[in-house]
Amino acid sequence: MTLKKWIKTPKGYVAIAMFAFLIIAAIGYKDSHGIKNAFTAVFAGVIVDIILNIIKRRKWTLPEGAVITGLIIALILSTATSILVVGATAVFAILSKHFLVYKKKPIFNPAAFGLLFSFLFFKTGQSWWGAFGDLSVWTILFLLVGGYMVANRIHKFPQVFSFLGTTFVMLALMGYFNIGDAVDALRPPFINGTLFFAFFMLTDPPTSPAKDKDQVIFGFLTAAAGTLVYAAFGGLIYLFIGLCLGNLYTYLKKRSVSKSMVNRKGFISTHR
Amino acid sequence: MVKMDKKWVILCSTAVAAAYTSGFYSTETQAVKMESAQHNQISLHTKVQQSGTTGNIANYALNQQNKKAKQKYKDGTFTGSGMNRRGDIQVAVTLRKDKIVDVQISNWGMHYSESDVVDLPGQVIQRQSANVGIVSGATYSTEAFTDAVQDAINQAQNS
Repeated sequence: MTLKKWIKTPKGYVAIAMFAFLIIAAIGYKDSHGIKNAFTAVFAGVIVDIILNIIKRRKWTLPEGAVITGLIIALILSTATSILVVGATAVFAILSKHFLVYKKKPIFNPAAFGLLFSFLFFKTGQSWWGAFGDLSVWTILFLLVGGYMVANRIHKFPQVFSFLGTTFVMLALMGYFNIGDAVDALRPPFINGTLFFAFFMLTDPPTSPAKDKDQVIFGFLTAAAGTLVYAAFGGLIYLFIGLCLGNLYTYLKKRSVSKSMVNRKGFISTHR
Repeated sequence: MVKMDKKWVILCSTAVAAAYTSGFYSTETQAVKMESAQHNQISLHTKVQQSGTTGNIANYALNQQNKKAKQKYKDGTFTGSGMNRRGDIQVAVTLRKDKIVDVQISNWGMHYSESDVVDLPGQVIQRQSANVGIVSGATYSTEAFTDAVQDAINQAQNS
């Protein structure tokens, strides 16, 4: 595949957006630690991905998924996070991609799973610096432009709108009834994190549904679960918990559809 | 998987933006209150810094001894708060004879785990200063904690 063709692929779009955000954020924050972290996460992720593909005797493909996962992790974790923790988070993410699978596809979004695991084991905090949380408000435009381009390319608008709509309505209700901390969630840097998450993590093709109706349900469930966790406990990992629950729903649905198809085939063959 | 029609994209974007805007404005009063509290705190710090206070009580206490002047800080427990865009922290600082003898985190409102900064109260007592070392990966919590301790120290200052 030529570079020109690769750029037009869904993964090409996301990889370019992540790389552009990395550069913009590094310049905006005047901090090169984030680039070092990104290099570490990508390197660790790619190495583990290649080794596992060799062990599983899979056909050679570009480890672009591991590159994207590494970049997302580096853009979310604080630039002050040690490179060992950043590397370990990327390794966890890639391990989940290879071992928590259904029909050879990952069940959980690797980056979200890795970050959740990293929070539980290393108590890592997320700064969402790659979503420009501490830069001027207008930098949100980068997220929106990049996000719309990616969502349009991979046909994931239904779940993005469903997720954002549900999240904002629930936060508005929380604000109106004075429940939890809706003030923060609707303003930078949290709103930057929510947009980044909706456009670039939620839309991961292998771990999210394809049909429009399923996308709407998936977006709604992820948003509802995440916002309820936020209302009850606050913190920053509510988006990842919501996504992992949404991924679990998608997996259970796929499994029940596949079981019912097997049963139907069995029923047809016994009645012939 | 069908590509979403442009009209639907615009319509849905507008609906999402409307939901966001209603949420934003329904929480605006609360946000303004929080921001003004933060501004008050910043202006208080600036005022104190202009008058030459660095927050290092130990050094100041030494100077005081030399000058044989009265205590610079009142004895007792003083509450201070520190906040930034990632939440807020409230601390209770106990001072006795110009020395910090106890620091407690009385309220944790940060969006990060409290365990990140569990060692900081001890550092304040050891250094006799609000200027503690930044905890790796918990910069925002450290900054809010430092501000909260400084706020409490400022309140303890004898006029």
